[in-house]
Amino acid sequence: MANAASGMAVDDECKLKFLELKAKRTHRFIIYKIDDKKKMVVVEKVGEPALNYEDFAASLPTNECRYAIFDYDFVTEENCQKSKIFFVAWSPDTARVRSKMIYASSKERFKRELDGIQVELQATDPTEVGFDVIQGRAN
Amino acid sequence: MYGGDEVSAIVIDVGSYSCKAGYAGDDTPKCVFPSVVGSIEQTGDTDEAKPEKEADSGSDPKNGSKPMDVDKAKTKRKFYLGQELEFRREHMEVISPLKDGTVIDWEVVDNIWNHAFRRRLLINPEEHPMLIAEPSTNSGQQREKAAELMFEKYKVPALFLAKNAVLTSFASGRATSLVVDCGGGSTVVSAVHDGYVLQKSAATSPIGGEFLTDCMMKSLESKGVVIRPKYSFKKKEVRPGDYKVVDLDFPNTTDSYRLYCMRAIASDIKESVCRVPDTPFDEVAYANVPTTSYELPDGQTIEVGADRFKIPDILFNPYLSQTIPGIDGFGDSTSIRGLPRMVLDSVNRCDVDIRKELLSNILLSGGLSSILQIKERLEKEVLEESPQNARVKVLASGSSMERRFSVWIGGSILASLGSFQQMWFSKAEYEEHGVSYIQRKCP
Repeated sequence: MANAASGMAVDDECKLKFLELKAKRTHRFIIYKIDDKKKMVVVEKVGEPALNYEDFAASLPTNECRYAIFDYDFVTEENCQKSKIFFVAWSPDTARVRSKMIYASSKERFKRELDGIQVELQATDPTEVGFDVIQGRAN
Repeated sequence: MYGGDEVSAIVIDVGSYSCKAGYAGDDTPKCVFPSVVGSIEQTGDTDEAKPEKEADSGSDPKNGSKPMDVDKAKTKRKFYLGQELEFRREHMEVISPLKDGTVIDWEVVDNIWNHAFRRRLLINPEEHPMLIAEPSTNSGQQREKAAELMFEKYKVPALFLAKNAVLTSFASGRATSLVVDCGGGSTVVSAVHDGYVLQKSAATSPIGGEFLTDCMMKSLESKGVVIRPKYSFKKKEVRPGDYKVVDLDFPNTTDSYRLYCMRAIASDIKESVCRVPDTPFDEVAYANVPTTSYELPDGQTIEVGADRFKIPDILFNPYLSQTIPGIDGFGDSTSIRGLPRMVLDSVNRCDVDIRKELLSNILLSGGLSSILQIKERLEKEVLEESPQNARVKVLASGSSMERRFSVWIGGSILASLGSFQQMWFSKAEYEEHGVSYIQRKCP
């Protein structure tokens, strides 16, 4: 039912911004939300490359669901510059059941639009997208 | 297009203990009633115990204001549902349409649906799309049967079958999770990945709320407590504030009805006093726990001690049930596992890549999950047994309403999504492609 339950359209802007992040690296993160009226996923916010993880975490609302893309730069043990693109499905426990459901059921379809996601996380509280989790999953 | 604002869809979830039905978009089901029915054999014609019902289902043109009469004419059984069960009737047997989560008696299910639509929700099923929640382990045959009945008998405009585990998972905002559904008749553990149930991972166990209720009842009986069903006595006020209980005798009450009434009481005792112990139950250590008192309907007060902890612990350690007199263990005892074992086995049957994610997304739902401390205990035991670096997290909704009705709530939201409307299996499609198309439409 993954693609079935969805049916939420995806705004072209979402893809465009993602490609920019992937290819030109002009964004650090992108926050997406589902617009109930337009029945589609739209870009809510983009973060400058200069911003860091804390800014990203702060951009996730505490009681609403979101999708997010985070570009994580790190240096491996071999001193090699690397980056990984994270997809985060954010649905805090305090969010309304209805919105949790919509986000969960539309996720699969949306993710397919964004080609190049390397790691996927689903999180219900800040500890699940903690910096340590990101670091752990990057390796 | 169906659904939307004009005609709302109906969501119905027939569980082994209770049936939940209501309008899509609501927060809670409009009606909840027991899934068991009272049945009286109609005398006169054949004395066959169970008239065959497959033959004439769907050939019922009448659907009017008297569904009960229709049923009577069709078969030799007369059914009593919902509140009608509260009254004792001569020779009334209580039967359940489900066994281990799957339907064994379609005639009864048919009656339950009918009752929900026509007598509870007061709707005409011909006008509403239906979303039916089904067990994760439902077979293709069962699904087709359900679809056929819905289209042929109720003439619904559109239908969708959704798996319980998927609905629970969506309702908590996850497309990937391990759903632990502790229901009335059974406990089902199944992994959901990106919105699909991984069939291989599904594990069921017959230990559900009703089994624990039975254990509670037998255990009390072995201690000399007599649970008197409500119908079997009358209270008389001899002096103000002083009651005398008079036994009434109804020789024609069936055993199953008596059992049903006693279970209702035992179930309430269980819900009132039980909690899951923090560590595996130990007869000696719990011998001196403080007791809790409970007043039975006939006025006698009982004290429940170690059983408060012992009964729920059966979920974790099924062999405890064999120490209760009157419970005849399980025939094939090796196949019955405790809850943590089921969770781990289920996870281990999934692909290595998603195991970690499943362990950190264990969702607890179902009526039995409202029992105190179950979440903490499950988390602790799974953590002890799981690989070292795994993060184990058991999630359960804070409100017991959401736990009990998680399947229904998930269905309610799904069916009310504007974007879901294109997914319905419509009557036109049914007529064109036949019933087996349901397997394609509702994976």
